[in-house]
Amino acid sequence: MNTDVEELLREGMERYTAGVRAPAGLAHTANRLRRRRMAVRAAVACGTAAVAAAAAIVVAARAGGAPAGTSSGMVNAHTAAYVISRVDNALAGQHLVLRARTSGVGGPSISWAYGPRSRFEEFTGTEGGQALSNGTFTHHGGSERYIAVGTALIGGKPTGVYVTYYNREWSLLPKGSIPASACSRTGALAMASPPIPTSNWPAFIHATLACGAATVTGHAWINGVKTVRITGSPVTVKLPPGEAKAIRAKWIRTQWTVYVNPKTYLPVRLSGSGYTYGGAAPGAYATSVSDLQWLRPTAANIAKALVTIPAGFHQVSSPADQ
Amino acid sequence: MADDRAAGELDRFLSERADLLMRTAVLLTGSRDAAQDLLQTALERLLRHWHSLDGDPEAYLRRTLYNLAADGFRRRGRLQRKLLLLRAETQAPADATAVVDLRDALVRILLQLPPRQRAVLVLRYWEQLTEAETAAALGWPEGTVKSATARGLRRLRELAEGWHQAELDERELRGQRA
Repeated sequence: MNTDVEELLREGMERYTAGVRAPAGLAHTANRLRRRRMAVRAAVACGTAAVAAAAAIVVAARAGGAPAGTSSGMVNAHTAAYVISRVDNALAGQHLVLRARTSGVGGPSISWAYGPRSRFEEFTGTEGGQALSNGTFTHHGGSERYIAVGTALIGGKPTGVYVTYYNREWSLLPKGSIPASACSRTGALAMASPPIPTSNWPAFIHATLACGAATVTGHAWINGVKTVRITGSPVTVKLPPGEAKAIRAKWIRTQWTVYVNPKTYLPVRLSGSGYTYGGAAPGAYATSVSDLQWLRPTAANIAKALVTIPAGFHQVSSPADQ
Repeated sequence: MADDRAAGELDRFLSERADLLMRTAVLLTGSRDAAQDLLQTALERLLRHWHSLDGDPEAYLRRTLYNLAADGFRRRGRLQRKLLLLRAETQAPADATAVVDLRDALVRILLQLPPRQRAVLVLRYWEQLTEAETAAALGWPEGTVKSATARGLRRLRELAEGWHQAELDERELRGQRA
């Protein structure tokens, strides 16, 4: 009898799974989801860090000039300083609302920034359909909000928040998590992630005056426009202990490139890359490309630079991803 | 692009083994959707350790699958399994013979067992591993495997005995009607 049951169970399992086939692209999806998780961790590790790399690079270059060892083919430092000063003026004088759409590591995301307000939202992609309450995904396509980081009005006061839509939770961002400089450790960390706007661009720019260097490195065609390409010097930083443990690497080397419209001198594209290494995990690259738009500061556009915490979401002491 | 290389190597490995792994994951979770999520999670972990693996990647992947399942991966799956059972009970069996019905019923009960018992039974009777091998795969003491197997089988035997009794009763009833 015992043997019968065991044999019948085995045959039953055979029958039950007879038509089961694994979906295609499992490895690719696993790789993509792993990168997404790493990117989210990196972004959360530095609070509302991220890049505003255009500004950082711009000011860094203005302050520091071209780095030693710049190739002879690059535009000279005088030209770089001129371009960068024009970009700086364009950014400072117009009080525009920034909208950035990012592809690449971590799936699609949208960033909004206006003055001290910012909103970064990451969505699930076609390969990671609906987010489950534990932060993993189903695999049936679709796109829905995954996390948001930025400024919310709480009691009428602008407050840094982190929202995880998949488990309907939110938390306050730790104070002081915004990097003082794009060349600080947390600032450099954020460069490899999708651009989460800093809380205040002018402050960020001033804080990065003494940092690093950038160079005009040529031109690139983007959407029919011959843009000016400005590249920052690579920065290598040691990862904070929590982040190092999460991704099992000790160091990250990052670099930014920003593309500027030669007529308006406003950045139109921002790309960032990061390479983590020096730990138990194999070295890994993460990249992101963001297309930037500069919108008039209408009430509707300004409102988009705020995070809204949906009704029914529970406040927790720390983000679910940490 | 170490990750891309790892993903490429993993792709080649999966081209041969993915269907079998998916079938195992279905037995561990009770549904294809949950199985896909389980397998995906295990693959992510495998990718993370791909370059530091000493042994067979499939052995690592299976260990991860079983341990995730035994730890109650995705507790939400319980509801899905219950729905699956309800659905199965309202459907006519593909093969109308009693033996086939019993096979199906055994699998339905298997999917209702606690995750640890289910994982052990899948390892023992699907993967055909010995108790010692099962214990090694799960990283459990052999005694734990033995007791989990015994409890799981007891449930299945109870079902089978109840099934046979119902068969006998029905035959007797049919005989009386005739």
